[in-house]
Amino acid sequence: MGSNGGGFDFDLCKRNALLERKGMAPPKAWKTGTTIAGVVYKDGVVLGADTRSTSGSTVADKNCEKIHYIAPNIYCCGAGTAADTMNVTAMISSSLDLHRYATGRQSRVVTAMTMLKYQGHVSAALVLGGVDLNGPHLFTIFPHGSTDALPYATMGSGSLNAMAVFEAGFKEDMTKEEAMALVAAAIRSGVYNDLGSGSNVDLCIISKEGVEYLRNHEFLMAKTYTRKFPVTYAKGTAPVIKEKLIPLSAVDVTEGAEEAMDTS
Amino acid sequence: MQADMKALHKMFMSRNVTYQHSHGRPMSCPATAQLLSNTLYHRRFFPFYTFNICAGLDEEGRGAVYTYDAIGSYERTGYSCQGSGKDLMQPVLDNQLKAASPLVLPPRNSVTELPLEQAVDLVKDAFVSAGERDIYTGDNVEILIITKDGIKREELELKRD
Amino acid sequence: MARIVAGSQITDAEYMRDISLGTTIIAVTFDGGVVLGADSRTSSGTYIANRVQDKITPLLDNVYLCRSGSASDTQAIASYVQYYLAQHQAELGGPVRVETAAKLAMQMAYGNKNMLQAGLIIAGHDSSGGSVWAIPLGGTLLKVPYAIGGSGSAYITGWCDKNWRAGFTREQAREFVRAALRHAMARDSSSGGCVRTVVIDSNGADREFIPNTKLPPTYGELAAPA
Repeated sequence: MGSNGGGFDFDLCKRNALLERKGMAPPKAWKTGTTIAGVVYKDGVVLGADTRSTSGSTVADKNCEKIHYIAPNIYCCGAGTAADTMNVTAMISSSLDLHRYATGRQSRVVTAMTMLKYQGHVSAALVLGGVDLNGPHLFTIFPHGSTDALPYATMGSGSLNAMAVFEAGFKEDMTKEEAMALVAAAIRSGVYNDLGSGSNVDLCIISKEGVEYLRNHEFLMAKTYTRKFPVTYAKGTAPVIKEKLIPLSAVDVTEGAEEAMDTS
Repeated sequence: MQADMKALHKMFMSRNVTYQHSHGRPMSCPATAQLLSNTLYHRRFFPFYTFNICAGLDEEGRGAVYTYDAIGSYERTGYSCQGSGKDLMQPVLDNQLKAASPLVLPPRNSVTELPLEQAVDLVKDAFVSAGERDIYTGDNVEILIITKDGIKREELELKRD
Repeated sequence: MARIVAGSQITDAEYMRDISLGTTIIAVTFDGGVVLGADSRTSSGTYIANRVQDKITPLLDNVYLCRSGSASDTQAIASYVQYYLAQHQAELGGPVRVETAAKLAMQMAYGNKNMLQAGLIIAGHDSSGGSVWAIPLGGTLLKVPYAIGGSGSAYITGWCDKNWRAGFTREQAREFVRAALRHAMARDSSSGGCVRTVVIDSNGADREFIPNTKLPPTYGELAAPA
C-alpha cells in the first residue's frame, strides 16, 4: 500500500471520504436488548425474563424486574425503553383494576392486549400472558401495534436465541415443570449468547389455581474473584471542611402517621 | 477489529524477526514500542482499527507500559487499559495507583509501584468489576506476568453472561 | 445522557422496523361462492416473527379479508372495519353486502393512504353470489373475478392468468388457490410457512389449514421427513 518514498500517502483519503459520505464511517453496531419469553402449557402460561438493563454498552441495573403485574391473572414481560414498559403496563393495570370494580368480573387477557396495542410511538415490545375464563393465552405486541397470538413467543434482542430453544424443545400440553425448564433454558440462551441480556432468570407461572412469581428463579453466576488486598481508606482521607449539626428538636418529625386517602 | 489485530500482529512478528537478523539481538522493549508506533502511523490515513498496550522490561530491567491510540500516538506510563471497558477501569487504576499530579514540580514519579502479588490482585479485581458492568467484557481474562525470570501466564474465569 | 432502558434501546434495526406481511394472498370466485388463500409468514427484516400467522381475517360471517403490507396497519384497518360493519349490521337488522364491506375498507385505505402500507383483498358471499374486491396500495377499489396480492404475487401472475377459468367448481377453485400459493411460497423468500384457505358460499365459511409438512415439495426441494 502506498509508496515507500517517505512522506504522507493520501491515496485513500478520497475513498475514505466517499465511504464516510455513504455512511460507513464509525463501525458501531450496538445490538443490545433483553430476552423475554413465554409458553403455554397444559393448564396455564409460563413467562420468563432476564434481569439486565443497559444504557448504551454499560449495564445500568444487574437485577431489574421485567415481568410486570397487569392483573391478578395476567402478567406482562417488557422489552424496550424501561420507562415505556413500566408506565404502559402500570397504566393498563390500573385501567383494568377500575374495569374489574365496574364489572365485578375477572379481567380477560385479550382486553389487556387490545389496551396495550394501539399505544403506538411507545417503544415497548411485550410478551403478554395470562389465564381467563377462556383458558390460557399468550400474545406478543410489537411497538407499532401489531399483535400475534402464539403457543410460544419471544421478544427482545435475545429473542432469536430463545426462539431457537423453543423451536427445538416445544411440545404441546407440557407439564408445569417441563414448561418452566424450557422457558428457563430459553432465557439462559439469551443470557449467555446475547450481550444485551444477562444476570438472572425470572419466571412467572400463571394458571387457574393462581400465580407463582419466581423472582431470581435461577442465579447463574457470582463474581469469580474477590480482592485479597482490599484497599481501606483511613478515616479522614476525605477531609472535613465544614460541619453543621441540626438538632432533631428543631425539625418537624411525623412518625408512622399514615396519610388518609383523598376521597374528595 | 479482529482482522486488523491479526494483520498487525502478523506484520509485527515478521518485523521482529527481520530486526533480529539485521541486529543480531532481540528487540528491546522501548524499541518494540517505537516500532509499534511507526507501524501504526504508517497507516495514518487507513488505520488499523486496533487499540494497543505494549509492556515489558526496559534496558534497566524496570517494568514498562506503553499505551497507544489507533494511529500510533504513544506514551510510556506506569499502568494503562484499553478497549470497551476502559472508561470503567481507568478511573479505578488512577485511584489505586496514581500518586501526586505528574505536573507537580519538581517532577516526581507519579506511579505507585505495587508488589507483584498486589498488582495481580488489582488486575484481577479490575477485570471482574469491568465484566460486571461492560457488556463486551466477559468469559475469561488472560494475565501475563513479565519478570526477569520470564513470562508467566495466568487465566481467570469471568462471568459468562 | 443515554436513556436507561430495560434491556436497552429497542435497536432501530430490530424493533422499530415494521413487522411486515411479506406475503402471498389470493381470492377467487367460483359458481356460488369465493375461495380466499394466504401463506402464514410474518417477517421483521430477515427474521420470521411468526410462522403461523392468520392473514385471513373475518369481517363478517360472510365476508373475509386478506391482509398484506404492514401487520400493524392492516390489523388496525381490519378492526375498524369489523367495528363499523357490526354497527351497520345491527342497524340494518340483516345480512350486509360484500360491496359495503369492501367500500368501507376502501374508505379507510384511501382516506389514510399517506400513513398506511396496506394491500387488501376482500371476498365474500351475499344474495348476489360470491364476489372479490381488491384494494391495492393507493386505495382504489376494484371488483375482479380473482385477485392476487403481496410480494409473492409477482411470481405467479403468469401462472394464474394461464390457469384461471371462469366457472370453476368449488373444489377446482380451492385447488387453484392451493397450487398458486405453493408456487409463490416456493419462489418468494418472504412468503412461506403453511397454507390457509377459506371457502365462503351460501352455507357460510369453511376454513382449511395445511401445515408446511403436508405441502407437496416443489422442484428442487426435499420432501418433508415423515
